[in-house]
Amino acid sequence: MIEVSGYSKQYGDTLAVKSLSFTVAPGDVLGLVGPNGAGKTTTLRALAGILQPTSGSIRIAGVDMQQDPVAAKSKLAFIPDEPALFDYLTVEEHLRFVARLYGVADAESRIPGLLEELELTAKRDALPTELSRGMKQKLAIACGLLHQPRVLLLDEPLTGLDPVGIRRMKETIQARAREGTAVVLSSHLLHLVEELCTRLLVIRRGEAVAFGTIDDVVSARPELEGQTLEEMFIALTG
Amino acid sequence: MPAPLRAMLFLYWHAFRNRLRAQAARARNPRYLVAVALGAFYLWWALFRNTRGADAPFSTLLQSPTTLLIASALLLITSARWWLFGSDRSALAFTPAEVQFLFPAPISRRGLIHAKLLRMQLAILLNTFVFTIIFRGDATSLVSWQRATGWWLLFSTLAMHRLGASMVRSAAIEHGRAGWRRVLVSGVVFGGMFAGVAFGLLAALPELRAASDEGLRAFLRAMSTALEAPVPHAALWPVRVLIAPVLHTGTAAWLREALLAVGVLLLHYAWLVRLDTAFEEAALDHTRYRAEVMQRFRSSQMGEARSKKGKLVKVPRLALTGRPEMAIAWKNVVAALRGGSWKTQLVSFVVGLSLLATLARSTSRNAADMFVGVSIGWGAMLLFIGPLWMRFDLRLDLPRLAMLKTMPLAGWRIVTAQIAAVTLLHSITVWSLMVVPLVLLVQDPSLFEATGATIPILAAIAVGVPAFNALMFTIHNGVALLFPAWVRLGTEARGFETMGQNLLTTGATAFVAAVALVFPVGAALLVLWLTNDWGGWSLLLATALASLVIAIELWPVLRWLGTVFENTDVNDVAASL
Repeated sequence: MIEVSGYSKQYGDTLAVKSLSFTVAPGDVLGLVGPNGAGKTTTLRALAGILQPTSGSIRIAGVDMQQDPVAAKSKLAFIPDEPALFDYLTVEEHLRFVARLYGVADAESRIPGLLEELELTAKRDALPTELSRGMKQKLAIACGLLHQPRVLLLDEPLTGLDPVGIRRMKETIQARAREGTAVVLSSHLLHLVEELCTRLLVIRRGEAVAFGTIDDVVSARPELEGQTLEEMFIALTG
Repeated sequence: MPAPLRAMLFLYWHAFRNRLRAQAARARNPRYLVAVALGAFYLWWALFRNTRGADAPFSTLLQSPTTLLIASALLLITSARWWLFGSDRSALAFTPAEVQFLFPAPISRRGLIHAKLLRMQLAILLNTFVFTIIFRGDATSLVSWQRATGWWLLFSTLAMHRLGASMVRSAAIEHGRAGWRRVLVSGVVFGGMFAGVAFGLLAALPELRAASDEGLRAFLRAMSTALEAPVPHAALWPVRVLIAPVLHTGTAAWLREALLAVGVLLLHYAWLVRLDTAFEEAALDHTRYRAEVMQRFRSSQMGEARSKKGKLVKVPRLALTGRPEMAIAWKNVVAALRGGSWKTQLVSFVVGLSLLATLARSTSRNAADMFVGVSIGWGAMLLFIGPLWMRFDLRLDLPRLAMLKTMPLAGWRIVTAQIAAVTLLHSITVWSLMVVPLVLLVQDPSLFEATGATIPILAAIAVGVPAFNALMFTIHNGVALLFPAWVRLGTEARGFETMGQNLLTTGATAFVAAVALVFPVGAALLVLWLTNDWGGWSLLLATALASLVIAIELWPVLRWLGTVFENTDVNDVAASL
């Protein structure tokens, strides 16, 4: 579903990401972890077609992002850590806007369910400026899920959510994965990664230092045997 | 110097210096380097080559007593806007960083006002420089320095006046009757000035009406005589004092006039400080609230989308199916309707114009003629400067470039949709000016014909305006996309402090537009020459052809801008915000 091959990104003299290669299959949830400045957001943004790779290729649901970015983008949703919403559109209008943009023919029937799932029904006529940080995050997620993307890219998806919201969000992500969506989740919350992700990609200074299931990582680095994910993270990235 | 003031000086100086450094660093990029070279050439041409000498008739015009009187009346009317409708939000608001650091800091409210005044000086000094050069006589003589001083005094006093008017309005609105009592003195003083001028003009209405039949020159003479009557003359004294040092450079009276202007400036300063002491904590909270509103809307620089009763402006419902780029155009229309109050402004504009057109007819035949002339002039000006105000396009959305780039649309479609919406809205605004000749036509067709307007001319304007607007908005959006670091992103309205920069921007875009118009105008002239029908329906045909040529020219430009959009790095734009 997601195939990344030799992806590199250079800014001036700085190589932000070095020859990254990985795949995410349908139904997989890949945890993208690494210290601050490791290149996680740069990688996610390249997957979303926001940044052009300096070299390498990215395929989304079989479509090459460089060759046909429009087709590739129509199959994915990117939910950034800081939701970028339009201040003058209401919650429901945001969803209608996205529906038109992505050509969601059955949006009229899907919107109420999505608002309900993300606890936004009561806020359907509210403007983003009238929403809390968590509500904005939920709206961004609702917009991302409306067109039933085959690839879901989440950058720190739980930021600003209350405990109930966190639980609902985890359920939402798991439900999408069960339906066959390939999910990439970048987060510093290692317990979340451990709970939700089927595989891990640990990057440090733009390079992959570990990739696979936790068992794969341990078998490649036997000294990590018996350690918690936090200890493994520090050992891999420290 | 008090420690907070030193800290603010440090903040503003270093922020200014670092901004300059960042801009200089950008010039390493070949695109910016070429633009720097072109921009430097343009500035040299606009400021140093394309100006008038000291002995030109322009100088004589500037020094005429009529100019001083009319200019002071116009300035008073301009400032009346701040009192009646409130100034733009930037008059009171601080930046988010200033709110975060200055408000919790141990700085008095007076200190905050000083901070605001200090920050305004950056734009005022730049504006002073631009205007001094544009209106210069001999750049090396004392005259220019006198004029610079005059401009600085004028701009600084106006900045204080605008800030004061904002504070007075805030106090009155926030505290009701108590607030009104507190600002009574300033209200009476400035209200008295407006009333004095209005009284003078009303008293001279018969003479003004008669003079309007004899042409513009006679009308201005009558206006000048009316303003010289004791009451308006006295009311305008402080404004005249402010303008005089700008106009009367090189004369023996300059020093005395400059000292009087300094007096008016100091009075404004004292007024502000007094207003500050009259303010309660709630007033400061209001300032902070406004700053927070600014912060909330910083990404889009929108006004309040809801009315005070909590109602949301109704917008057309977006159909869920159809061309996806329509969603982007719709979103921008919603922004204009909700954030920019475009519809309210348009309706007031049309109703006001209709009433004035009706009144003009009852005044005199010449007044109607003059009013049509003013409408045409205003329309032409709107075509050029409208795109500076109307920013519901890429300039609004570039701060969200990352989100735009995830949209499953080719870059040129996104760019075209952004430009199309604002082109349509601004075309409607310009079209609304045609209500003036149309009202005259409905009232009395002979009056309409007397103005020189004809149905083919109106039809040609109706056809030509969208094409011209599309061209102008493409230029403005293109510049924003190519040079995001140099363009003000968002829709924030700025005060007169940026008038000089706006003047230069308008000049540059007008120049690019003039180049783009060579072929369209050439094609139109060819049609008119071939048909030898310069005022009839051939005009419509010629305009339609010119519009078609503009569309043909814009097509590859929009495709190219689409590629630029796709290749623009979000980090470059983020760095320029």
